[in-house]
Amino acid sequence: MRACDWGFGPSEGGGGLDPSACSRMGLVQWRRSPLLVPQAGRGLLPHRQIQVTYKWLSYTLGVHVNQAKQMLYDYVERKRKENSGAQLHVTYLVSGSLIQNGHSCHKVAVVREDKLEAVKSKLAVTASVHVYSIQKAMLKDSGPLFNTDYDILKSNLQNCSKFSAIQCAAAVPRAPAESSSSEKLEQSDPPVSPEMQASDELTTNGHGPPVPKQSSQQPKGIMGMFASKAASKAQDANKETKTEAKEVMNASSVGPKAPGKGNVISNFFGKAAMNKLKVNLDSEQEVKEEKKVEQPPLSVTEPKLAAPVDLKKSSKKAEPVRMQQKEKKRRKQMELSDDETKETENMKKKRRRIKLPESDSSEDEVIPDSPGAYEAESPSPPPPSPSPEPVLKTEPEPPPVKGSDGENKRKRKRVLKSKTFTDEEGCMVTEKVYESESCTDSEEELKMKTSSVHRPPAMAVKKEPKEERKGPKKGTAAMGKANRQVAITGFFQRK
Amino acid sequence: MFSEQAAQRAHTLLSPPSASNATFARVPVVTYTNSSQPFRLGERSFSRQYAHIYATRLIQMRPFLVSRAQQRWGTVLAVLGSAGDDGKFLVEDHCFAGLAPQKPACPLDTDRFVLLVSGLGLGGGGGESLLGTQLLVDVVTGQLGDEGEQCSAAHVSRVILAGNLLSHNTQSRDSINKAKYLTKKTQAASVEAVKMLDEILLQLSASVPVDVMPGEFDPTNYTLPQQPLHPCMFPLATAYSTLQLVTNPYQATIDGVRFLGTSGQNVSDIFRYSSMEDHLEILEWTLQVRHISPTAPDTLGCYPFYKTDPFIFPECPHVYFCGNTPSFGSKIIQGPEDQTVLLVAVPDFSTTQTACLVNLRSLACQPISFSGFGAEDEDLGGLGLGP
Repeated sequence: MRACDWGFGPSEGGGGLDPSACSRMGLVQWRRSPLLVPQAGRGLLPHRQIQVTYKWLSYTLGVHVNQAKQMLYDYVERKRKENSGAQLHVTYLVSGSLIQNGHSCHKVAVVREDKLEAVKSKLAVTASVHVYSIQKAMLKDSGPLFNTDYDILKSNLQNCSKFSAIQCAAAVPRAPAESSSSEKLEQSDPPVSPEMQASDELTTNGHGPPVPKQSSQQPKGIMGMFASKAASKAQDANKETKTEAKEVMNASSVGPKAPGKGNVISNFFGKAAMNKLKVNLDSEQEVKEEKKVEQPPLSVTEPKLAAPVDLKKSSKKAEPVRMQQKEKKRRKQMELSDDETKETENMKKKRRRIKLPESDSSEDEVIPDSPGAYEAESPSPPPPSPSPEPVLKTEPEPPPVKGSDGENKRKRKRVLKSKTFTDEEGCMVTEKVYESESCTDSEEELKMKTSSVHRPPAMAVKKEPKEERKGPKKGTAAMGKANRQVAITGFFQRK
Repeated sequence: MFSEQAAQRAHTLLSPPSASNATFARVPVVTYTNSSQPFRLGERSFSRQYAHIYATRLIQMRPFLVSRAQQRWGTVLAVLGSAGDDGKFLVEDHCFAGLAPQKPACPLDTDRFVLLVSGLGLGGGGGESLLGTQLLVDVVTGQLGDEGEQCSAAHVSRVILAGNLLSHNTQSRDSINKAKYLTKKTQAASVEAVKMLDEILLQLSASVPVDVMPGEFDPTNYTLPQQPLHPCMFPLATAYSTLQLVTNPYQATIDGVRFLGTSGQNVSDIFRYSSMEDHLEILEWTLQVRHISPTAPDTLGCYPFYKTDPFIFPECPHVYFCGNTPSFGSKIIQGPEDQTVLLVAVPDFSTTQTACLVNLRSLACQPISFSGFGAEDEDLGGLGLGP
């Protein structure tokens, strides 16, 4: 008997694993051997879990919950008939009603097999009985069952009611216009998210703070890494069709992409590699174009790659990913700025002065700090090919907006003020009201912060000849303090 | 009731897998109107005195009292007594405003249920109640149970979570007492609990319309009426339009049946300061007095409503509930003008593992409890089925 004898295969059971995946997971052998034992690396179950609940089975095989319950029952019956000596402990779900305190109470309980009959006899009306879970060892309490269910639920949060027996027509996701944009900026992306959703979030986040943007870009970088790894042969084929000049620096920049781990790391961190990348600005642009061309055919391979199996590969690819990641980001940054040399200059400065209060530098900062973060992140987010373009287009907007904002706009602040007036009864009433008030003090400080550090503060003050008040002095003092404070906390952190 | 209806279908799950499995459609919402608008606070101003509030209340209540007193004694006074020689007023008798007039509910042809739960108590550290909560969610979303039960569960048209979704433990005030440098990197206890709540709400709202009322320990304002929880706390669940975050107290008309309820602060406050022992009795009393929380703002924090008092019953509900009571209770009372009200005392789920199923057609209420098994359960004590 094989997995497809259960009645599901490529033609049925939409949403579950395909039969080849089942066989990979050892499901084919499920009924032949007493495999409900923890076997690290192979076997049916992840090594920490030793119970099979109906919910786990339903999500894993992609079947209706009732079918999962029946499958469990069938398994137990067969095993016991065969009398293979394997000890199976079963828990059941019993529900029904009984009279208590004058009320007819409906009870739903998970019980061990040995208590099943006793419980059933106490119920006046039995509504349902079915298998809840199977395990090898006798369970002392139902805690582990909950843990198993919770774990499998966490990894299937987005389609939690897919295999349930009740479908609700009213439960439709809200249109994006209804939910506020702030909700989209949250970081906890569910691990299984559709491709378009990820790309939509990227585009709406284009105007938001840089932090969420980078977190959704990082998975893209990982998937991009997978894509390039899987289709490295395609890459090689493409290379040969380009001109010689491109081939030369393809070798130099694709070299780091090669699977040689040790070389990658040393190349990545070595200054020689950095200089190479910087010098070949034009070549970088062309390489990026080439990459873009590659991406459409690569996206076809994405769905196949986005299987949980790739989890295992991610640990090997974590380090090359960083390299790829950085390259990709740098390429994007380069494309943005009109003045390429200025960009290189800034980049050079970024390497030395990580604490620049610039949005771009914060992206670079995160990468060397969190190598482990990639392994922890789930690899399933896809790299939609249209999305880099919208992101790139929206990226140039925040920096220029910031600059102009600080210099030209007059800020209006809402201030709480008390207003006293006489109301219709002739009584004096004092009320606190919000009033908008134009305020230039805060504007000074904002402007100070956004200007880059290597311009002396005095220059910034001179740029505003009209506002010669205590304001600018306050601003400089504040900025000086801000700088000093940064240094102080840095001192504490090093401790 | 729920169980009998569930038991009518044949048991099919203790058998080999069948080719097809039944799926049931959730009963669609026929009519739903949220009438909680009076409890929403617009601009907030706290510049009025208590006396002002009481005066408003008196003025608003006066017409009802006048008509009741006239019915009873033919006089305008609501307090019957005589003035004594020493200037004291001796009260001989009193009368309450009584039940408000009630619009009749339209009769339903099929059984529809509303599930009332309160006191989920997430973040409390009790593992046992988590399994119970998960079982509750599984029953409502149709994962647990045989086909009959799943069919009955599909007739649950709404779930109302009546407060105290977070546990009392999440309200630790340590961060106020401790020095800043000690508490700098620690997270508030409610953060984890809210994440768990978000996941539970996601599961529920993917399958059934849910109304979430805040309670005493939930992250919203303290004074009554409590404003709805902010949707930013539930990023996963607010994606569904079936999730509704509502005020406490909450009133709505669900499928023609008028619901009104609170998360229990009004009843527990009266319980604290009076000699009445039974929460259900207190609930009935507030209905008779025609005021949801008569002890506010005296001993119970309440927003100073100086224009109108929204806690006075404009009309009598069909189902009047309060959450977080120590035990389940339900009662049907009849009013002098043919009013029928179902009173429900929704128990605290984290301690009792019990929720309430209200049948909208028959206006009956059935408790539904969940349990797992533990090492110490020798005689099915956890189920309440013991001798």
